[in-house]
Amino acid sequence: MLPEFETVIGLEVHVELLTDTKLFCGCSTAFGAEPNSQVCPLCLGLPGGTLPKLNEKALEFTIKTAMALNCRVAEEITFDRKNYYYADLPKGYQISQYFYPTGRDGYVEIHVDGQTKRIGIHQIHLEEDTGKLLHVGSIISSPFSRVDFNRAGVPLIEIVTEPDIRSAEEARLFLQKLRSILQYIAVSDCKMEEGSMRCDANISIRPVGSREFGTKTELKNMNSFRAVYRGIEYEVERQRSVVLEGGKVIPETRHWDEEEGVTKAMRSKFVSADYRCFPDPNIPPFKPSPEWLEKIRSSIPELPDARYARFINEYGLPPYDAEILTASRELADFYDAVLAGYNAPKAVSNWIMSELLRLLNSTNTGIEDCKIKPEDLGKLLQMIDNGTISGKIAKGVFEEMFATGEKPEKIIEKKGLTQISDEDELSRIVDAVIAGNPGSVEDYRKGKDRALGFLVGQVMKETKGKANPQLVNKLLKEKLG
Amino acid sequence: MNYLNCSIEQLATQIKEIQDKSTPPQEVSRAIIGRCTGVQKEFNVFISLGEDIISSELERLFRDRLPENGRLKLAGAIGVLGDNIATSRYLTTCASRMLQSYRPPFDAGVVARLEDSGAVIAGKTNMDEFGVGCSGENSYFNSIKNPWNKKHTAGSGAAAAVLAGSAHFALASDARGELRQAASYCGVIALKPTYGRISRKGLLDYASSLETIGIAARHIADLAAVLGAVAGEDPDDVTTLQSAAPDYLSLLRENGGVRQVAVPANWQDAPYLEEEMKDLFQEQLKKLEALGVKIHFVELPHLQYASLAAAIISAVEAFSNLSNYDGVRFGYRGEGKHLQDMYAQTRSEGFSSRLKKFLTFGALVSTANYYQDYFLRAQKLRTVIAGELEACLQEFDLLLTPTTPFQAPELGAAEGGSGRSREELLDPAGYYTAAANLAGLPALTFPLQAAGLPYGLQLLSKKEDELTLLKAGLLLEKENPLAWPDLAL
Repeated sequence: MLPEFETVIGLEVHVELLTDTKLFCGCSTAFGAEPNSQVCPLCLGLPGGTLPKLNEKALEFTIKTAMALNCRVAEEITFDRKNYYYADLPKGYQISQYFYPTGRDGYVEIHVDGQTKRIGIHQIHLEEDTGKLLHVGSIISSPFSRVDFNRAGVPLIEIVTEPDIRSAEEARLFLQKLRSILQYIAVSDCKMEEGSMRCDANISIRPVGSREFGTKTELKNMNSFRAVYRGIEYEVERQRSVVLEGGKVIPETRHWDEEEGVTKAMRSKFVSADYRCFPDPNIPPFKPSPEWLEKIRSSIPELPDARYARFINEYGLPPYDAEILTASRELADFYDAVLAGYNAPKAVSNWIMSELLRLLNSTNTGIEDCKIKPEDLGKLLQMIDNGTISGKIAKGVFEEMFATGEKPEKIIEKKGLTQISDEDELSRIVDAVIAGNPGSVEDYRKGKDRALGFLVGQVMKETKGKANPQLVNKLLKEKLG
Repeated sequence: MNYLNCSIEQLATQIKEIQDKSTPPQEVSRAIIGRCTGVQKEFNVFISLGEDIISSELERLFRDRLPENGRLKLAGAIGVLGDNIATSRYLTTCASRMLQSYRPPFDAGVVARLEDSGAVIAGKTNMDEFGVGCSGENSYFNSIKNPWNKKHTAGSGAAAAVLAGSAHFALASDARGELRQAASYCGVIALKPTYGRISRKGLLDYASSLETIGIAARHIADLAAVLGAVAGEDPDDVTTLQSAAPDYLSLLRENGGVRQVAVPANWQDAPYLEEEMKDLFQEQLKKLEALGVKIHFVELPHLQYASLAAAIISAVEAFSNLSNYDGVRFGYRGEGKHLQDMYAQTRSEGFSSRLKKFLTFGALVSTANYYQDYFLRAQKLRTVIAGELEACLQEFDLLLTPTTPFQAPELGAAEGGSGRSREELLDPAGYYTAAANLAGLPALTFPLQAAGLPYGLQLLSKKEDELTLLKAGLLLEKENPLAWPDLAL
């Protein structure tokens, strides 16, 4: 019998912080600028120009993240140097928090198969990003390399999980939840495609029931949530094959190749690098005051998990709806705002999940750029309820609102879309339709119920869809006996 | 013209005379440049000499600044800077092939303060490569010679320039005592201030946690004036002290100061301590006692390990601080087949073998294997030594020691491997000086004249208390007439 294996995954996630300036100098962190246009003596590592000045905003964001991920926050903030040589590292060392990370021992909860699972956070620390190497073609064949130092010194936090993740799906769920939390507290935009969120995975397998860890490989270069999922799936399968064929997993760094859909060994040997870390003598230790910490704590909004629970308990939403609505803070804010003026939780949820998300996706628009005001969606739904317009007309109005941002009553008035609920007026039209369709009338009277539908359709056609459908039904049945 | 020989205080009279006689400033410049060029020729104290800068700055000073602002702290004073202090108008080479053509696009924090005070920066002085050591021989620009005796080292160009009268003062780095040692070898006064008293912005330091910019001068009052001009908090250096620096010069001659003085009970245990130094030291103690100062011999059991601890810590920091010299963005670049090869060639060819030995030592003791036993132990020693010194200086006004155990060694001694050679690792010249760096305390060296080369007396005081050092220095100045070599240039 083939042995059953358990997958063990730990993630190292790097997230660029949304500060205007770099971690230790005043240079801009804006993405996409002309290469080497956002640099100074400090972030270029020029001799005599390297005295760092800590960006307090970056530290605030790190502490906020640590709190949001349920970590203990260090009493004293210190920085260390990680020494190594690479062309994208201007000072020859990276300033990081090696000995005392800002946050320790936290967790993030994910929902897997209807269960809540806790993924431990080993630590969160603040460090500076490196520059970027630009090669001509591939790194191997490139005759030379260019370096862009715009990114050098941009504040990064590294979030290291415990080896608590058991599948590619869990890894993806964790990353999505992490992104969601970080977006809620507005410390990062977490765009994997732009590199503002990057993820490495330490992957191993072991026989089910074993308490020891198997040999792990480190998987890099996964630039989307999908890539994380596919990369891990592939690597786990690869390790299984190696073990089942009697081989041994080699501890190595592997590269996810998106195009070929495989992982490839990057270095033949896994050299455990000695970074010779020691405290940075140019940055005095810093003790955050209790007042400052309290201020940071009180600035944390309701987080996805709390909101998810509230949407279920208070609004009676199904977990599926609550999960989707709370994944983004802006969407959840939008939902809450609609409910403030129109308290029908499930109806609003349906409209957002079907109509709004469809339009956002098809136009590639973010909810934050949506032109529809929450109170206007409420108004629109109210007008369906009180019979001003039909549900079908409402969809058209909604699209118009989405395109122009106009108020629903304006659009309805402008286009004359108000529902006809006047019995006398409808009665005249119904009479005309009965007179004009003797065949269908005959069919109906012979017992073909479908004929009634046709006649309703004719009335709707005459009224350009504005007739109140319930009223039309009632009138037709009365008149046809 | 007596412009360079007089003190900064006396300079006011000189300047008034020049103004009264309407002497053209060019004449003053010519005299200064002449002196500097002569000193350079004999003793190799400069790496850059700013002939044009001296002329244009003095002219501007006499034309615009002096008439408008007669109260400039350092009006017309001539200063020189060690070549590891960044200047945008001069090359800043650190006496290394690595930076032989490096001109920083910025100035060190002290440069603006000096210029605002009316001082003229005449040039950049020769030094041991990157400020490591005090042999004065490990410069890409050749050895520095002692103006008292050209066969001996001067320790640094900064001290030698001041001694030889090519400047009123010099600023240079002091990480384990280099500036104080050089001042002792040359017989001038030097102060290493409290860590953080003077901004390190723009200092190409090799040991950031130990190193400060210090001042060398020929007179205590000059030292006080320069310190007053350059000291103070700098928002660009977060390690600077937040407390305001006092007006040293105006407080210098106020009453009060030195009553109780401590001397390490085992002060004579230093390796290579010369008999002449012992005699001079004891003579000074007697002089102080005669003035009513009480001398106390105190136990400072860990002081003897200071220079070793400082060597380890400074080597680790240097290995890291100097990691930016990779040939990618500035400085010397070696030819290499690929990136790693280019690094290796750049650093092999750009650094001297003595510096490389030091950096290698730093790289070694910071590896995971040795971190605990060397670096961490050195850091613990540092805490213990700082504690001993602080406790001692809570009780006593000053701590007195020799500055170096011996006078300026002969040039070439380091290469010859004689006993007290200026080994960077086991640093006998730093036996007394390194403790002040480890503890961040201010320390002053005062010259003691001898028949041949001078010696130095070192004074330590508590943190931020440079004033007590200066007052004690003034007392010593009255008791010990200073002497200068008679140079035929």
